Amino acid sequence: MASQASNLSVIGRTARVRGRVTGAVDLEVQGYVEGEISVGGDVTVDAGGMVGASVHGRRLVVRGAVKGDLTADEAILLEDGARVVGDVRAPRVAIAPGALVRGFVDTGANGEAVRPGRAQAAAARPAPATLKAVAAPVPAPQAKAAAKPVVASHLAGAAPSPSKEATPRRPPPPVVPALKKAKGQIAKKKER
Amino acid sequence: MASTVIGAGITIEGEVTTDEDVVVAGTLRGKLTAKEGVTIEHGATVEADVAGASLVVAGSLTGNVTAAERVDLQQGSRVIGNVKAARVTIADGAQFKGNVDMDV
Repeated sequence: MASQASNLSVIGRTARVRGRVTGAVDLEVQGYVEGEISVGGDVTVDAGGMVGASVHGRRLVVRGAVKGDLTADEAILLEDGARVVGDVRAPRVAIAPGALVRGFVDTGANGEAVRPGRAQAAAARPAPATLKAVAAPVPAPQAKAAAKPVVASHLAGAAPSPSKEATPRRPPPPVVPALKKAKGQIAKKKER
Repeated sequence: MASTVIGAGITIEGEVTTDEDVVVAGTLRGKLTAKEGVTIEHGATVEADVAGASLVVAGSLTGNVTAAERVDLQQGSRVIGNVKAARVTIADGAQFKGNVDMDV
């Protein structure tokens, strides 16, 4: 019984986890994980499984819902029924017919794609939406940036506040901001 | 096989809630609530308040325990915390520090 349990970890159908899940082995999610998953083994999000934050593993197979970024050392498979809102990064990414993705797909994040032809074919599907989403907001920030330096220099001269410098160094608390960030990303993408 | 398994090598920091049974062979810090049986296997480390229908401990548990039916502390287990259940057994060789409340 012990050996059986130690081979695979399962978050059951009715289980709900609020917090970080880490480790070096495989994980199967049939229930709801409301926190970051980062494991050294394979992660499977089954149909009916839901993850509300980023997921990292060696290989990811998704048949359920993920609201957060997906990153893998080797490959990501988004199968029929998968619903992903977030960025997808792995050397190999496969998106099967029936999988829904909203986010940026990058097949070169962890080294070169093993089979470039296949990876590109997989990436081709979400590409149009991604390009639109990325291209639209770019001009606006540049225009703002051109106007900003005058204001910024005034502020910099007038306010010698160490607290402002200290603020970005603070490490973000783990779980809650990840959820907020994910919500914010969705809101932004909806606006676009 | 149990519906939820926290395998050896997995660490969960946070709250786990389920309507079914749970087997912990890895590490859990936070809170564990199950409607059915909870098993903490040999080699597992749980630093959490645990609630369930029944609880079997063979590993290390730090935290308060409430079970609707029974709690069994097996040989080799190490438990620090208060135990509240209608039936409690502590096997020879189990380490235990805490209150027992059998709710009589």
